[in-house]
Amino acid sequence: MAKEAQKLRKERKKARLELSNGIVLEGFLIGADVSTSGEMVFNTGMLGYSEAMTDPSYLGQILTFSFCLIGNYGVPAYKDGDFFMSLGHESSSIKTQGIIVSDIFDGFYHHNSTISLEDWMKSQNVPGIAGIDTRFLVQTIRENGGLFGKIVPQGAKSPRIDRFDFLKNFSNAQYADPSKYNLMPSVSIKEVKHFGKAGKAVAVIDCGVKWNIIRMLLQKGCRVELLPWDSDFSKVQCDGWLISNGPGDPANTGGLVERIKKGVLPQNKPILGICLGHQLLALASGSATKRLNHGHRSHNQPVYSLPQKSAYMTSQNHRYAVDKNSIAKGWRLWFVNANDDSVEGLIHKSKPFMSVQFHPEASSGPNDTGWIMDNFISLL
Amino acid sequence: MPLLEFLKPKNNKKQKVLLLGSGALSIGQAGEFDYSGSQAVKALQEEGLEVIVINPNIASVQTNKGENKKVYLYPITPFWVEKIIKIEKPAAIISSFGGQTSLNCVIELHKSGVLDKYGVKVLGTPPASLEISEDRELFANKMEEIGISIAPSFAVNSVDEALKKAQQIGYPVIIRSAFALGGLGSGLANNPDELQNLSSSALTNTPQILIEKSLYGWKEIEYETMRDKTGNTITICNMENFDPMGIHTGDSIVIAPCQTINNVENNMMRDAAIKIAHSIGIVGECNVQFALNPQEYAFYVIEINARLSRSSALASKATGYPIAYIAAKIVVGFDLLELKNPVTATTSAFYEPSLDYVTLKIPRWDLNKFTGVSKLLGTQMKSVGEVMAIGRNFCGVLQKAVRMVNENEDGITAKIFRNATDDALQKELISPTNLRLFAIYESFRRSKTIEDIAQKTKIDSWFLSHIRSIAESEKELLEFFSCPQKMPSVSKSDVKKAVERISKEYLRRLKYMGFSDFQITKIFLEAFCGTDFKMSVKEIRALSLAVRNARKKLKVLPVVKRIDTTSSEYPTKSNYLYLTYEGICDDIAVKKKNNSIITLGSGSYRIGSSIEFDWCSVMASAYFKSKKNDSVIINCNPETVSTDFSASDRLYFEELSFERVLDIIDIENPLGVIACMGGQNPNNLIAPLSEAKVNILGHSQKSVEDAEDRGKFSAMLDKLGIDQPAWTAATSRQEIDNFIQKNGFPALIRPSFVLSGTLMNVANDKQSLDYFLSLTKDISADFPVVISKFIQDAKEIECDGVAKNGEVILSLISEHIENAGVHSGDATMAFPAQKIYGQTVNVIKTIVRKIVKGLNLNGPFNIQFIAKDNDVKVIECNARASRSFPFISKVSGINLADISCKVMNNEKIGKILLDESEIPFVGVKASMFSFQRLDGADPVSGVEMASTGEVGCLGKTFNAALLLSMESTQIKKPKKGILLSTGREKDKVKFMSVIDNVYKLKVPVYATSGTAKYLQDRGYEVNTVHWSSSNESPKAVDAIIDGKVDLIINIKKSFEMDEFQNNAHIRKTAVKRGCSILTNLEKAIAYFRAYDSYEELQKSDECISL
Repeated sequence: MAKEAQKLRKERKKARLELSNGIVLEGFLIGADVSTSGEMVFNTGMLGYSEAMTDPSYLGQILTFSFCLIGNYGVPAYKDGDFFMSLGHESSSIKTQGIIVSDIFDGFYHHNSTISLEDWMKSQNVPGIAGIDTRFLVQTIRENGGLFGKIVPQGAKSPRIDRFDFLKNFSNAQYADPSKYNLMPSVSIKEVKHFGKAGKAVAVIDCGVKWNIIRMLLQKGCRVELLPWDSDFSKVQCDGWLISNGPGDPANTGGLVERIKKGVLPQNKPILGICLGHQLLALASGSATKRLNHGHRSHNQPVYSLPQKSAYMTSQNHRYAVDKNSIAKGWRLWFVNANDDSVEGLIHKSKPFMSVQFHPEASSGPNDTGWIMDNFISLL
Repeated sequence: MPLLEFLKPKNNKKQKVLLLGSGALSIGQAGEFDYSGSQAVKALQEEGLEVIVINPNIASVQTNKGENKKVYLYPITPFWVEKIIKIEKPAAIISSFGGQTSLNCVIELHKSGVLDKYGVKVLGTPPASLEISEDRELFANKMEEIGISIAPSFAVNSVDEALKKAQQIGYPVIIRSAFALGGLGSGLANNPDELQNLSSSALTNTPQILIEKSLYGWKEIEYETMRDKTGNTITICNMENFDPMGIHTGDSIVIAPCQTINNVENNMMRDAAIKIAHSIGIVGECNVQFALNPQEYAFYVIEINARLSRSSALASKATGYPIAYIAAKIVVGFDLLELKNPVTATTSAFYEPSLDYVTLKIPRWDLNKFTGVSKLLGTQMKSVGEVMAIGRNFCGVLQKAVRMVNENEDGITAKIFRNATDDALQKELISPTNLRLFAIYESFRRSKTIEDIAQKTKIDSWFLSHIRSIAESEKELLEFFSCPQKMPSVSKSDVKKAVERISKEYLRRLKYMGFSDFQITKIFLEAFCGTDFKMSVKEIRALSLAVRNARKKLKVLPVVKRIDTTSSEYPTKSNYLYLTYEGICDDIAVKKKNNSIITLGSGSYRIGSSIEFDWCSVMASAYFKSKKNDSVIINCNPETVSTDFSASDRLYFEELSFERVLDIIDIENPLGVIACMGGQNPNNLIAPLSEAKVNILGHSQKSVEDAEDRGKFSAMLDKLGIDQPAWTAATSRQEIDNFIQKNGFPALIRPSFVLSGTLMNVANDKQSLDYFLSLTKDISADFPVVISKFIQDAKEIECDGVAKNGEVILSLISEHIENAGVHSGDATMAFPAQKIYGQTVNVIKTIVRKIVKGLNLNGPFNIQFIAKDNDVKVIECNARASRSFPFISKVSGINLADISCKVMNNEKIGKILLDESEIPFVGVKASMFSFQRLDGADPVSGVEMASTGEVGCLGKTFNAALLLSMESTQIKKPKKGILLSTGREKDKVKFMSVIDNVYKLKVPVYATSGTAKYLQDRGYEVNTVHWSSSNESPKAVDAIIDGKVDLIINIKKSFEMDEFQNNAHIRKTAVKRGCSILTNLEKAIAYFRAYDSYEELQKSDECISL
């Protein structure tokens, strides 16, 4: 099932990672033999590569795993349409443009895996590079703020641009910045979907929702109505709202902020915003967002809850954040980041509105803030 | 102010906190507690507290004198701790930094009400919570309450009950004892018979044992959690055992972070660990162990340790997160958010480190040192030390770690099982010993499949596939070098030519796979000359420089990476470093005009080289730090203080191999390298490094060689007119017989090649000589047997000192309690010497001066002598710091390590004269043995060292110091009875000098027949017992098994085999039953004589502190 690590290195085709700051790194091609481009990001989580790669928030990005050994346990079993059978998958396909790793394991021995990471990438036409000094690359990304890159296999074929809508913008671009485009059409469902039969109804605005959000709502006894990003929210009947995570710049979401402001807020029903959903809710309520240097992408972001006076380990994946100096009237700080003091959550002083920058649904990462979902559901 | 209210200064006086250590190093409780304890001391001192340390481990860094610190070298028992509480009146006591010893002691002091009586608060996890963590039934109830599964397990108090419960659970079952460390008294029983044996033995040591479902083959995973008093909890690191459940985690190869589990599994166990920490009410650190089902999403929690542990030390070194330091801050009142991560200095301590590398720990076993010990690994820990390798892929760290732990450069390619049959290999895979890894490797060399090995070993195939990759690579390289005609000899240019054929890319790949230059050279030699090439390590090492040169030419060089806890998410100035070939640039830039001094550490703790050399290394590093040099340490032992990144300006957590040290020297370009402070391991590098033009500080290469080469040293002694025991390096049996004819028995036999290890032995007659020689391979010029006259009934004396340019700066004399014949590492030592003739001292000092001059020593040294009636002979000279340096330094008040550094730093320094009579106390250093964990080992001390640790206690008199040091090494005052076998006629006579003290202990006295008769003839009442081979009863072993005696004096009569075996049976049984045992006449006599001072010592309200 596994090729010898050293053979891997011997038989590999070479590939280059070309960065927008002029640095070129050479390594071995893994996954599909296609070229690609995207925004360079890194994640310092040590496990959960399949969750990360299928997380729609990574759309348009080339993901660098800082951890040195990726692929060890293969890719968890996937069953189309079955969230619970597909633990380890956060959407139906790989969303990253490509991945950069130090070392990849091309095999799988884990009881819950059915395919190796490489074969999975090949099957979905996603390329990557192994044999890169990922520590150096992480430092480069960290020091450069916005950095873009291209994966160029030896004798490269032209990039495939049919995987997602927004990629048509990438076809001629040297180094494309995905956050310049509205990414919602590429990640959101096209038609309303219903999950679960009984319980309180939660309307989930799909901005690229992670399946674990839906899993948790169902597990906790709710019904879910999953809405396309461009639905008319004012007509939706529900007990509460969840604005999901997703990729890109919250300000560049094609009128979504306005529709939340006009369609969701006036209903005065409980609202929970997660990640991008938190930023969208903040914008809709009159706060502002800003772009961080390189954002937070890891499983070990410490956040501190001001009302609870306690701290939690969280999973995060974002570059934009709510500006601390812009918090709208009626809202107060809920969570702050214990490392850099950035805004990690807001809560309305009188209405049942709340939002968090991190992922209470985890997957991958720590489950410490799952209680936020409970709190939200208790308000329905 | 985060400090707890009652710890804040009162009337401008600092509050005192009592910190208990873990005592002597033993199997299951080793150097990791010096690391955690010294971090705690630092953390507490920073908060304005005065720290009172109780720990008899004199060689530890935590027992160094310091400001706002007092050190009591006393046994860690409720009795002595209470006495010190009475003297010091501390505000609080800390239980969690001194292992199980400290934890048990604090629980006992709490239960007996002593702590309440003196108003001493327990810091950290409260005693009630500690009890839940320690009592398996309470723990099981708690887990049930919070819905976390534990393996089916029942606490039983009798063998019958055990059998009944085992029937219920189904065999195989595990037996564990409550309140024990390192899996003592535990084991696997496959059937009622085995259970009967194990449980009856375990129940003699503890009132309660556990019968548990065997989870053999499940993955064993640990989480290190930290919780503050407000409830904030993190898991700092998870670790996965390469060896599945069934092998004690202390004996398992461990990788951090976990490698074969996915996100779902990780978080389900992480959630459980946090929930457990909450439910029990942990304040500080807690280790949680899980068994994970490899076939489905299911796990059991195995146990928790509500204290710092070996695993927490490993996790600290693996992540860079200083767990003990932070835990100490938490127990005095801080919460995690009030603390910064010391590695980044800017981010929060409420943080779970992210690693961008992997670490691999491999245990070090020294099973060859023990006669008769079972080498099988199981649920009882047997290893005496460990190493950790850091790298960016599994093949690389595995190869590195194997080289580190065996201190040779062969690593995993060592041909241990090359000639083994397939059956033998298979047996090793199924019933593992300490050598299983090599059997796995050999199996893959023989093209066995991963599935096959996985089925036999239950080791996860992910690990196995990597080991196979290494084996495949070796075969490929052998093929690459293959040469049609085997050559009889080889030159440097042959190697050069061959290596130059390797492309840059291939060479990179080999380095990435973890092959050292030495291994590549050896593989070449095998291809070039055939498997049987005969070449010394020294020669191969010299040839390997051709590989090194080729590498440098092709720029295939390792890079330096930082361990920073954040995977570079935040910039850090971390000084914690490792080298890897998987990278294109260094994390650090060393200044061109560098003034660094590199101290080479001691590597893995092992028998013969332990914490004392870490103390020396730490002292050296601190010295050069204080001199504003860049003080650099290279070491690979995660249990040490020297690998605490705050002990140096730069720490390279790396291999102490010739290749790697040169790599670091290339990067650092140091002013000098110190190789004489870390024991024999770095000392062995002096020659090759000197030849590579490295500036070694201290003794010259020539001095070291002249001291170490037996022939050269002996010739020098002859030239200087210094006496030495007769010896020869015999190259044939005839030469041995000739030697015996001339010098007679007994003789000390030291073969250069022994099938079962490196055992030295004393042959007393032809029979035993034949037997010992039968253990050696052959006697030839290549494998000579060193044979020397063994002098009986002589005193052994040591001199530790420092020399400069051939002149003695300082020399201090200590004496052994035991007569010559007991390895100096096992002997009990007194300083200042108590019973040496003034004349002898003068003779010794004169000899020391001559030797120092003759060898032109320039640094620390240790010379060993035997003296019989003022007739002094030299046994050996170590041109390096010795085992006794910390002991002599702390008792004399003169830091020998500092003085050695002054010499190495070429500072002006005059002769130091110490009037030993000014030392207000006597120090006794005693050895700690771990025979209780070594099934089958004969607990007799002899010429081969067997102790795993030591203590040093101080007393106003020699007697007081001896009693304290005996109590600290588990020689306890008997409560049940004494069993005497006092040896030869003349030994019996000598022993009579203390016989009244034996009877004064007011417990029944038993004696084996000869001794009994001797006593009865002299009017003493004694119960006669017999040898196992005798027809008469009662038997001595039955008295032990029936619990009638708890102190055994067993002096061997002769070196004859028959007597040896009978006594061995008594000794082994005694150890198994947890009795105190003394096997040396002089030590036994000294011990009973010391009871003259017993009352006085117990009643005294004074304790000596440093």
